[in-house]
Amino acid sequence: MSALDPAFAWAASAALALVFAQAAWHKLRDLGAFAAAVAAYELLPAPLAPLAATQLAAAELVLVGTLLLPPARAAAAFGALALLCIYSAAIALNLARGRRDIDCGCTGPALRQPLSGWLLARNAALGALALLGVAPSSPRALALPDALPIAGGALALFALVLAANQLAANAPASQALHERPQAAEVRR
Amino acid sequence: MSEALLVSNALLWAAVIALALLVLALARQVGVLHERIAPVGALALGRGPRVGEAAPGIEAPTLAGARIALGGVAADGRGTLLFFLSPTCPVCKALLPALHSVIAREDPALRLVYASDGPEPEQRAFAQAHGLDLAAYALSTELGLAHHVAKLPYAVLVDASGVIRAQGLVNTREHLESLFEARERGVGSIQELVARERGGSDSVTH
Repeated sequence: MSALDPAFAWAASAALALVFAQAAWHKLRDLGAFAAAVAAYELLPAPLAPLAATQLAAAELVLVGTLLLPPARAAAAFGALALLCIYSAAIALNLARGRRDIDCGCTGPALRQPLSGWLLARNAALGALALLGVAPSSPRALALPDALPIAGGALALFALVLAANQLAANAPASQALHERPQAAEVRR
Repeated sequence: MSEALLVSNALLWAAVIALALLVLALARQVGVLHERIAPVGALALGRGPRVGEAAPGIEAPTLAGARIALGGVAADGRGTLLFFLSPTCPVCKALLPALHSVIAREDPALRLVYASDGPEPEQRAFAQAHGLDLAAYALSTELGLAHHVAKLPYAVLVDASGVIRAQGLVNTREHLESLFEARERGVGSIQELVARERGGSDSVTH
């Protein structure tokens, strides 16, 4: 089997870096709210939650930087995979406990997202991107025109991840609307 | 030839990115619309303890240091309004004056309990900044989970015998008033009342 073109790995890594940059940004902007979200997962002793929140946000920032550095890219991709596994395990454990109503903490305090299986699927897709970043690629040297698919692919994937997050956050309201179709006729 | 391919590729990428951004913008708009189509009454989310059932009995710690007993028969014969809020929720802040004036008008004897969870210093600063009674400010994740509070601000009206009389997501003064309206009419939420009225008229036409 021939190895993948290196542009794929670059586009995947760049998209992942954008996703983590956005995630770290909203976490650092309101670290208190993220610490509260970590505490609500009830996996750590409560006094450790602020520390864990800071470290998770810092880890995301480090990933953003290293995912774009060629020598560190492979290590960063495995780091990203490990972080995604930690998040997924935390979500899966709370889903198994039946605590679906806590905020995921994924999209900041302004956009609450209850826990659901979709988050696991999203993390799996992001994990696949990380793996694509370290898959063996052919030794073709990249030239200037390669910037097009790399930047374009990364930006498009990033926008799609954001859109999917927004739709998932809309889902509970949308479902509530379906469950009470009569409400529209109240205003008389 | 290869130059033509490059140009067409650039155009396609521009189109793909523009479309992805459009999808994102549409999803955001759907989110805003969901917020704007505020339900006419407080929106009951349909999980957790229902109206007519006993409110979960929980002893929650308050900011004043003591514990406050919630649920069960009230010794002093007063009902309780549980108001779930958070310092990070702007709507909660905006709703506080309306909350106090609605209670003063509808049922001044009602015991108002604020319920929140999260880091204590932040909560204390929030409660003090808004002049909230620290002895009635419960800090308990358990309480929110027991009532299945998914969105804030959320209010639960409990009567003196510890039974939930009305509950729901409250975003406006009208939503708060609808809780008392729902209690007086003996329905769980205004949506339920509307459903009941519709059900009634349906059976007439059939």
